[in-house]
Amino acid sequence: MRSIPRRRLCGALCALAAGALCTSAALAQEVVKVGVIGPLSGPFSAAFGIPFRQGVETYAAQVGGKAGNVKVEFVWRDLEGPNPERAKALAQELVVKEKVQYLGGFVFTPNALAVAPLVQGAKIPTVIFNASTSVVVSKSDYFLRTSNTLPQVTVPVARYALEKGLKRVVTAVSEYGPGLDAENAFKATFEAGGGQVIEVIRMPVQATDFGPFMQKVRSLKPDALFGFLPFGPPTFGFVKAFADNGLKADGIKLLGTAETQESDLQALGDAALKVETGYYYSAAHESPENKAFLAALAKTHPGAVANPATVAAYDGARLIFRMIEATGGKADPDKALAAVKGFKFESPRGPVEIDAKTRDIVQNVYMRSVEKGAGGKLVNKEFKTYAAQPDHGPQLTKK
Amino acid sequence: MSPLSLLASVAVDSLAYAMVLFVISVGLSITLGLMRFVNLAHGLFAVAGGYALVAAMARLGLPYEAAVPAALAAVALLAWPLERWLYRRLAGRSELDQVLFSIALVFIGIAGLGLLFGNAITAVRLPGYLQGSVSLGFRELPAQRLAALGAGVFTLVLLSWLMQSTRFGIELRAAVERPQAAQALGIRTTRVCSLAFALGAALAALGGVAGAELLPLEPHYPLKYLVLFLAVVAVGGLGSHWGLLAAALLLGTVETAAKYFVPGLSSIFFFTTMLAVLAWRPQGLFGRPV
Amino acid sequence: MNTILMKAPAQRLRWRPTALAPEALLLLGGIGLYLLVPDDLGFATRVLIGALFALSLDLVLGYGGIVTLGQAALFGSGAYAAGLFALHLSGNPLLGLVAGAAAGAATAGLTGWLVLRSHGLTAVMITIAVAQVLLEVASKWRSVTGGDDGLSGIAVQPLFGRFEFDFFGHTGYWYALVVLLLVFAALRRLVAAPFGLTLVGLREDRVRMVALGCRLQRRLGTAYLIGGAVAGLAGALSAQVTQVVGLSSLSFAQSAEALVMLVLGGTGRLWGAILGTAVFMGVHHLASSIDPLRWMLVIGVMLLGVVLFMPQGLSGAVVSLWRRLQRRQEAA
Repeated sequence: MRSIPRRRLCGALCALAAGALCTSAALAQEVVKVGVIGPLSGPFSAAFGIPFRQGVETYAAQVGGKAGNVKVEFVWRDLEGPNPERAKALAQELVVKEKVQYLGGFVFTPNALAVAPLVQGAKIPTVIFNASTSVVVSKSDYFLRTSNTLPQVTVPVARYALEKGLKRVVTAVSEYGPGLDAENAFKATFEAGGGQVIEVIRMPVQATDFGPFMQKVRSLKPDALFGFLPFGPPTFGFVKAFADNGLKADGIKLLGTAETQESDLQALGDAALKVETGYYYSAAHESPENKAFLAALAKTHPGAVANPATVAAYDGARLIFRMIEATGGKADPDKALAAVKGFKFESPRGPVEIDAKTRDIVQNVYMRSVEKGAGGKLVNKEFKTYAAQPDHGPQLTKK
Repeated sequence: MSPLSLLASVAVDSLAYAMVLFVISVGLSITLGLMRFVNLAHGLFAVAGGYALVAAMARLGLPYEAAVPAALAAVALLAWPLERWLYRRLAGRSELDQVLFSIALVFIGIAGLGLLFGNAITAVRLPGYLQGSVSLGFRELPAQRLAALGAGVFTLVLLSWLMQSTRFGIELRAAVERPQAAQALGIRTTRVCSLAFALGAALAALGGVAGAELLPLEPHYPLKYLVLFLAVVAVGGLGSHWGLLAAALLLGTVETAAKYFVPGLSSIFFFTTMLAVLAWRPQGLFGRPV
Repeated sequence: MNTILMKAPAQRLRWRPTALAPEALLLLGGIGLYLLVPDDLGFATRVLIGALFALSLDLVLGYGGIVTLGQAALFGSGAYAAGLFALHLSGNPLLGLVAGAAAGAATAGLTGWLVLRSHGLTAVMITIAVAQVLLEVASKWRSVTGGDDGLSGIAVQPLFGRFEFDFFGHTGYWYALVVLLLVFAALRRLVAAPFGLTLVGLREDRVRMVALGCRLQRRLGTAYLIGGAVAGLAGALSAQVTQVVGLSSLSFAQSAEALVMLVLGGTGRLWGAILGTAVFMGVHHLASSIDPLRWMLVIGVMLLGVVLFMPQGLSGAVVSLWRRLQRRQEAA
């Protein structure tokens, strides 16, 4: 990879920094803008974009929209799906035109990867609210993450499977980056612990009919099926096909990660009962912080469904407010990062730490089972905790 | 699984998938094939059928059995003024204008559905006998697939009867092949075409309802599966529902079999089959040679 | 409809000052856009790239009469080619453009014969299928294309050794504008030349043209090839300016959007493609920032209005307005 000659870049940056310092010296104690890029419209808006907005606004309402003395203003930009070219253009607009000091959001890995050089060059601390591929955070010194990484949540699921005495497992993932990551993490951990992944099935992302895959799995007679699919129709079809093709009745367990997350859970219906997943947040998590969070959410957005994206954005907002307070509203990226590196706090999901070296999130991963909760609604009931899981990605041997 | 039951399983899944494809696409075959209108908004009528069903059950409290015909009727009623005031104006225009028009409708429809029902998947609350699965002896089949199969057979019988044995069918075929001669003979071609359009829309709605298990209801449905509908219609050949059935069976079987044996390549197989058929027979399997 | 035929003889007979009027207008428009949104050049450059892509589609569809919903295959080929070129071979931007155009032309050449054998719905479906297969291949070939993570970290050398492609986007914008201007000028000459006139003839009355001895497949094939090269060029621009390439560049949505923008602007006029792109992307950008939930509604209503009341697209409406004004002037 060729590197851009330093002179020009430095010149541009110095101009920007000087300009920013001048304006921000005048503007310190006034307003700091934060740009958030997410799918506010389109098929992913219900699972991510809208929860992002709700999470951020809930936190902002709780602290009165101010970080210390500085007013914080959020600028939202809509990006419906993976479109790295457009992600870069939107980030560019936010940084150059809106003069945001921080960025947040990013559901899809390619979008986050696309803005990495920009964020690095312009030194904009960026909090990732979802993109879960391990490598993303390492692509820029200014990336932080408040969601999870795939290995982080998948390794505990594999460990759980081993602890339960499951010996033979089939993995079925959608053939795209996150799916392959999950398959890798599960397989490596499960086999290292003495288990056997008897078949690895990779399904096209566009697939609508999961019946044939389920029949294939059934014929292999495994103890469990580990699945990973993108949100929305694929997961919906997969879980339903699992129940409707007799695998559940056969006693095969379904293991997953985010498949039963709250925005789609009710629509899945009884087909989802007893599905066991490992993830970082369940709306049914029992803790005073979660109770307070849900109450605050209900106040600012009545009727909102809390899901992991809501909490990731909520905590992301917490980080951003902390950074703004630490720098007094001035654009000082390194000081800002220093304020959150190593930051430990109690999130609605449980205890959380932003790793000082990797800037990634270290958190509990819970095994949950889908059960009928109060009022007959389905909930992810936590029954086991794997404490303080870091990103397991670097330790796993990649294929 | 023994080779015989494996083969039987592939056959069952292929048939079930193919019938869903058939029911969903047959409405498009009518508008595109018979009426020569590039209606890319077909998916909108399909998903509207599903949403109308959900609304009829939730807001009007109708049981499933009554809600389905109500939903189909609602979509057909919705299609009638659309055809009368909008589609008819564009009937003589170029195909590109029709494409632009139907895409405009789709955008408006998607936005409207999102505002009315939210952007997440809306599930259909099925009656007990359609939930779960049915045992076929060597395997289970989701009950909804059987229902879709039934819907497909019903549609096939209905269309065959309509086109061959009723006055409406004969008038429609005349109006499409030789509009002037048909008018000279006293056939009210505009009336017949409006009815055909409404029929196409109702069939699309039936496809949306029957296929809701395979293609879940969400606002982006019309754009997401557009290529799928077009593929089945193109391979089948315009204007022939037998061709459409053949296409659905062919494409459905290829994709399903691939899912059993080479899962990662099932999508590629679908499109290469489509390419192969169209390269060999550009008019589709049963279409009229151009 | 016959503006080219009416204009062409004059252009061919003698050089007139107004021969460069459209290019000058485009340049003015480009400068105007730059002044309008100086700190949102990322968006402005995407409009220019989109316009270039729509131009390629206009050549193939508006002039060649080949209806395609798979032009993104050519755009994406160019984008990946240029991206890989910069990553593995050379960071020279101009050579990267050549690589992109060549890749687009190559893909068009390899698949064009399939498309041109048929017409109507079949041809459209073939273009869609080709693009889908290409998308699947790119998605699977992770080691080369990065799969669905996309190709990132594409670093391009400063243009002419001096102008850097920084995140402010100035260099990128002028670079894209110059390429657009040059291609626009070249295409205008092409469609006024005998080649272009043959295309129009084939579009209007294929039977007669063939009877006159026109080599149908050869002409259409060349048009498709040139369209592919221009689309590949647009893709290469995108790769170099945004420094990322995603699978979205090969997607059906990309092809469909280009078609919508072209028909909105009006086919067969070249400048219609540019107008349609500017209006569509402008309205999308504006509506999306104001109300992300309802932008589709706004665009849908706008498209509906145009298709119902402006049969020739926006450019057709502009032309008929112009003619009406001229007639009023003459009458006065």
